[in-house]
Amino acid sequence: MSASRLANVVLALGLSACIAPFSIRAQVREVVSKEVSVGRSEASLALEFRGGDRLEIGFEDGSVLVDGESVGTYVTGDALDATWRALLGQAVALDDGPLAAALADWSVPSELTGDAATAARAIDQALESALRSTNVQAQVGDGSVSLGDPGSLLRLLLREPERLRLLGDALSGIDDDVRVYVAEDAVVAADETVEGDLIVIDGDARIEGDIEGDVVVVGGELELLEGSSVGGSVRLADARLVRNLGVVDGELVDVEDGVQLDVDEDVRLELREEIRAELREELRSEGPAFLSPFRSLAGSVADIMGHLVAVLVLGLVGAAVIAFAGDRVEVIADTARRAPGRSAAVGMAGAILLIPAWVIGFVALLVSIVGIPVAIVWLPAFPIAACVAALVGYLAVARNAGEWLADSDLPWTQWIRKSNSLITMVGGLLGLSVLFMVSHVVSILPFLGFLNRLLVVAGVVLTVVAIQIGFGAVILTRGGRKRDYARYTSDEAWEAAMNVDVGGVDDAPPAPGATVPDKGGGHA
Amino acid sequence: MRKWFVALALVAAAVPAASAAQLRTVTLSRQLEDEDEVRVSVEYGAGRFTVRPMDTGLLYRMNLEYDEDRYEPVADYSAHRLHVGVESIRGGIRGRDAEGGRLDLELARGVPMDLDLEFGAVRANVDLGGLALTRLELSTGASESIIDVSEPSPASMELARFEVGAAEFTARHLGNLNAERIEVDAGVGSLTLWLDGEWRRDARVGIDMGLGALELRVPEGLGLQLRKDSFLTSLDSEGLVKRGDTYQSLNWANATRKVTVDLDAAFGSVKVVWVRE
Repeated sequence: MSASRLANVVLALGLSACIAPFSIRAQVREVVSKEVSVGRSEASLALEFRGGDRLEIGFEDGSVLVDGESVGTYVTGDALDATWRALLGQAVALDDGPLAAALADWSVPSELTGDAATAARAIDQALESALRSTNVQAQVGDGSVSLGDPGSLLRLLLREPERLRLLGDALSGIDDDVRVYVAEDAVVAADETVEGDLIVIDGDARIEGDIEGDVVVVGGELELLEGSSVGGSVRLADARLVRNLGVVDGELVDVEDGVQLDVDEDVRLELREEIRAELREELRSEGPAFLSPFRSLAGSVADIMGHLVAVLVLGLVGAAVIAFAGDRVEVIADTARRAPGRSAAVGMAGAILLIPAWVIGFVALLVSIVGIPVAIVWLPAFPIAACVAALVGYLAVARNAGEWLADSDLPWTQWIRKSNSLITMVGGLLGLSVLFMVSHVVSILPFLGFLNRLLVVAGVVLTVVAIQIGFGAVILTRGGRKRDYARYTSDEAWEAAMNVDVGGVDDAPPAPGATVPDKGGGHA
Repeated sequence: MRKWFVALALVAAAVPAASAAQLRTVTLSRQLEDEDEVRVSVEYGAGRFTVRPMDTGLLYRMNLEYDEDRYEPVADYSAHRLHVGVESIRGGIRGRDAEGGRLDLELARGVPMDLDLEFGAVRANVDLGGLALTRLELSTGASESIIDVSEPSPASMELARFEVGAAEFTARHLGNLNAERIEVDAGVGSLTLWLDGEWRRDARVGIDMGLGALELRVPEGLGLQLRKDSFLTSLDSEGLVKRGDTYQSLNWANATRKVTVDLDAAFGSVKVVWVRE
């Protein structure tokens, strides 16, 4: 069929719609599901239609939204808000046909003026276009013409004669098998195939399926979604291609400008711009490339400082623990030193049994009925107690490590004084975290990534072992109250007191003039 | 175990709300399509909860009032699965500070339905009469629940399961469920089971009760056999004759329909009350 013939048919349909409006039967669409939500500051309606498409209109926080796009504003309690809530009040009690009819028949109340009336008209239009399905079957080959509103075509033709010229240009060469939508949106679902051409006048086209022929859009927007295909060409007259994720076998022509759009070039330009934007963003966040070595240095220094701050914080906690429970920390530390294997085993077993004990304790308290209030306290208190035990145990082990460092001849350890428990503990904390700090230093240097990771792993293992031993020592000593594993033999007590090895007393006297290394006090 | 957590939720719910709840009202409905069978799961934490059947051509209709600052409604329907209820926005214990909340659910009569109801600290009034239930799982926490099967189910089911936490729980017309087996797992509370309704086959009822009082209300024409495995539980076995380890109704041998109750109770009391049909 030629363009002029089709235009004549369309025109005839429009005129017939005006002259004999009752010949076109307006039908409302089937509403599959509805959701009416009314709250203090929001009131919304969501409809789902047969075919899966949806309409959502919401009054939310001062904005009137139609399918997520703002079409106006309101103030809670104003005339527009009250009108909308009244409509929702009707919608609550209705379903399907009566609901669709009630919503489609709704019109803008005369008392609304200005912006409120504009927003209400947008709602009315959205409801009309979503709910009305006026199908006029014209005997034009196998095609069909669908009018969103019976008078829309005539209005279109009278108001915008320029569109007619564009329509004529766009329709040149269109075949007989054509589907025409006027003043309404066309949706081609993913599983749908239009065997001929698709023409949308004064509406938007959203295509997810396949069009075997051409697509013509006059005065609207075209969306080609992923998976869609157009076997022929796409012609846009006073229209816009807002998304192109499908495949167009033919040409993409803007009829108005008479230019052919190069889709590939368009996509390339878009991609190029996106890549540039990403690069700009990356450069902005990272700064110039020549600063990268300094960034590495700064990062490592920051990490080391972080560790030092952590040691400082733990030291402060340790000071508090020593001040309030110094004797118990002594017992725990002695147990950890005297029985490290047993402490580690107990610590590991305790760690494994923590969660079962927590759960069983909770259930046991619940079952006892009277223990229910205790059970509520038990839930947070047990994990907190376990964490405190692990922390105190770690501090005790750190104190032992500090003593070992004080006794050692290692460089930079002379400042650690065994006479001061706090300094000893801080020294031990630094010693236990030294592997992490070295790893941060190593990370500054190039090509030493493996060594860096090795140091981190070793540091983690050392920390875990220290925590296990400390936690086990806390359990063995019942929080520092039992000294079963912290007792010295008489020789050890003597050695500890004198800080000398008496192992060879029976065999040989100490050499004349032998000196006893002394960096502070010993164990009492 | 779940019932204990729900019981805990009740304790938490007793904490007064810091601020007045801002209630939001939501109405949801969906047309009935050509569903062969629908799986329906309903979750509701606290408030008032009602379920009833309907004949309006809808699969379901739900009216919900909830605190919009804390909860959001859920209504998912896909692949013949419907999930409705409310979910906490910020996580935490469901049901806390839900004073004034309400959920009214209507379900399509006659549609084959696999129904899973889960509610916490609620006052529930559930009428399952006429629903074509193919499976029923009902889990309630600390609630005052009345479950009624007011009309016989057009479908049959293998198992109906009730999990009751700390609750006052009443189930009526259990015979109308047309279930081969009914299991009741009760924690703490008062349990009243009406074994009336239209029994279309012999059935077994398993009751596992922790601490509480159980009252079995049995229509006079029904044959009842009670097998009890209990500890510190009293039994008022009026109208039952002890035969070996079981208690049987006088009409057991001749009854048209027979129901066997297996009772496992820890502490509490069991009472059998005979009612005229």
